[in-house]
Amino acid sequence: MRLELHEVHVSDIQWGQRTEVLDHVLRVNREEALASVSGDDRFASVQLDLARPGESVRIIPVKDVVEPRVKLKGGRGYFPGFFAPPETAGEGVTLILKGAAVVTCGPIVAFQEGFIDMSGTGADYTPFSKTQNLVLTVEPAEGLGKHAYEEALRLAGLKLALYLAEACREAAVDEVRVFDKGSINEENDKYPDLPRILYVCMAITQGLLHDTFLYSADMKTVLPTLLHPNEVLDGALVSGNCVSACDKNTTFHHVNNPVVEALYRRHGKDLNFLGVVPTVEDVRLAGKERASSMNSALARNLGAHGVIVTEEGYGNPDTDLCLNAKKCEVLGIRTVVISDEAAGTDGASQGLADATPEMSAFVSSGNVNEMIEVPPMKTVLGHPEAIENLSGGAAESLRPDGSMFVELQAVIGSTCELGFSRIGCEWI
Amino acid sequence: MVQIATIVPIMLTVGSNRIVPGVAIPHPVGDPAKGPEADKKARRELLLKALKAMTTPISEQTIF
Repeated sequence: MRLELHEVHVSDIQWGQRTEVLDHVLRVNREEALASVSGDDRFASVQLDLARPGESVRIIPVKDVVEPRVKLKGGRGYFPGFFAPPETAGEGVTLILKGAAVVTCGPIVAFQEGFIDMSGTGADYTPFSKTQNLVLTVEPAEGLGKHAYEEALRLAGLKLALYLAEACREAAVDEVRVFDKGSINEENDKYPDLPRILYVCMAITQGLLHDTFLYSADMKTVLPTLLHPNEVLDGALVSGNCVSACDKNTTFHHVNNPVVEALYRRHGKDLNFLGVVPTVEDVRLAGKERASSMNSALARNLGAHGVIVTEEGYGNPDTDLCLNAKKCEVLGIRTVVISDEAAGTDGASQGLADATPEMSAFVSSGNVNEMIEVPPMKTVLGHPEAIENLSGGAAESLRPDGSMFVELQAVIGSTCELGFSRIGCEWI
Repeated sequence: MVQIATIVPIMLTVGSNRIVPGVAIPHPVGDPAKGPEADKKARRELLLKALKAMTTPISEQTIF
């Protein structure tokens, strides 16, 4: 399976007469972009704004971040099952506006969201202060249920990202990245002596607006399955999560999954990357037992020597994490997990809600409870008072001068458990 | 004391002594998808189980 990612580098975003990339500047025809997401009677109003790195802008509450992409060859549209036929992703050519992002915003809250600051202390903690953002703020029609609102905003974000990329499909390509890997049998024949590594990617699948979509299927009804890594890098996974912001995997994160990319880089060198198993975090214990058993069985049947597990979220998913590690280790498969910690504001508490002695290799992506102070921003897109409903925020978080004192977990992507972050013991 | 919650491994980890497994994280003490009558029945059974657990002598962490 061969995937070419054709990247058009974007270093600025401006309004323009037509939507195009010229000299690395993404120009957006505002009316046309608005039209691409208007006409949904679930929306009372739709607004577009620009937010650039370094500006004094806060976006709150943020629901999702989407990278503008479109298939050039080997398909059409993007996000199979949503705005592309529900066919296998990961082959052909995909155009990407690298450095640009669509940020969706709107008052779903009470079901948790997060914020992005484009400058100041908060900006250091989110990757989306470095992207050229087109911010889509949508107010729901009166009486619209939260589930319908979530769906409408999710689809609008995907659609807007696709519109941008589609309009720029003739843009000059700056970099081509190729991801090429055969079937498991072919790769095993090529690299018989390299350790076989499987990646188990946990996704929040808990209903009540805590959902992830695989080829547009609501994953809470999906059993763990095996994907070629290219499928993940080419839009098979879409976030529908309204959940604690620091460690939810936005749709942007999924298509840029650094674990997938790192394993790919090492494939054929010091390991044999078997593939990706997207798996669920069920709300029932029996569901957690079932999924972890299926994950370990898949690993065993594929002949994996090692498994990497990434968590999404924290709290009850810590049990899924423990079960995934435990059941693989019991089968003799070495397992490493990547997770953040909820260790209290002083960092002294137990980091996970659950524990198991078999989980012996742990990479931490940070403490979600760490307190940070963020300065006021000149412009606030969305609803600043939403902070009181965000995880990591409270009614008193927002001060009269517009500054905020909040837990790190209110910042989108700040402790991302895929490692999509610059946070470490030292800044990297 | 009795704890009713869904994820038994977490209750074991944090040191609960009398453990009654609940139904699901969004609704630990009921089963609303089964309709009001079955939901009430599930609630009542869980409560009675918890009361029984409370009055049962134990010497170690026990799942009822």
